[in-house]
Amino acid sequence: MRFDPRLLVPIIILGLTSVGAYLVGTRLRILDASMLSRTAVDVLETLGLAVVFLVGNLAVGTAGILVFRALTGHFVSVYVVSDAVLPILSLIQALVLQRWRERSR
Amino acid sequence: MGGVNPVRAGLAMLGIGGLLVFVAAAFTPLPNWLNAWLAGTPRLERADAIVVLGRGGSDSDGVLTNRSLRRVMHGIELYRAVLAPRLVLSGTGEEAEARATLARGLGVPQGAIVQVGAARTTAEEADQIAQLLLPRAERRILLVADPIDMPRARAVMEHVGFRVLPAPTAATGPTAPEGRLALLRDIATEMASLAYYRITGSL
Repeated sequence: MRFDPRLLVPIIILGLTSVGAYLVGTRLRILDASMLSRTAVDVLETLGLAVVFLVGNLAVGTAGILVFRALTGHFVSVYVVSDAVLPILSLIQALVLQRWRERSR
Repeated sequence: MGGVNPVRAGLAMLGIGGLLVFVAAAFTPLPNWLNAWLAGTPRLERADAIVVLGRGGSDSDGVLTNRSLRRVMHGIELYRAVLAPRLVLSGTGEEAEARATLARGLGVPQGAIVQVGAARTTAEEADQIAQLLLPRAERRILLVADPIDMPRARAVMEHVGFRVLPAPTAATGPTAPEGRLALLRDIATEMASLAYYRITGSL
């Protein structure tokens, strides 16, 4: 499969705005450059938490549908839990929990 | 200075894993390779019937979903290539009806079309199609399904007694990041379904 250079477009856009935010933030002394690596680790923790939430949501959703089918005899497709919104909602769950933990300190 | 918190370290490792999967899925051909691998080698040979399994049904206004449409178009193409005298169109009731209408519109005679409606799962589809075809000794089928669905679909159809010739739809898949992410999600879903079928004895 030939490499499609259009794949780079979102990466280039993200790179440009990230560098811009870094320059503006550090020049205006809003951001501390020395905290960047620590922040990256925090973000990875949040992503890890989102993965945990996603797996949990998938497990609860699938089990719930199977139990519902068994109890009521009505058919609900398990495919409904594979909707693209679930990973996004799981990430929001993780963000809320992390921010909540920080505020609770 | 405190030690490393094992929970936070574990979450960070999980985050790295998630990020790597995301990057590999969106920006590399990994999902496309998996797609092609799952499709296997097509065997487009003479058969007793062409079986087009349902996929995604139709919208509320009766328009077939993308995948459902691609499958039925491939089935019609195989019929036109005179690979089988019968075209079996499965899916939800509306999906099978919309497919039959399309097939007739594209020149497939009504007498060659067999509609299998109201099936909710692949296992139910297989049972219904077996009840229709096996009593007529139509055992050798060209099976039309998406590449990622082919391993489970083939196993289910063989389980009820068919000899399956795989005829997957296009096997490379999308190349844009969004499409690749969706493809990897569908592959994961399909692998989970395959595991479920094996655990519950449907295969």
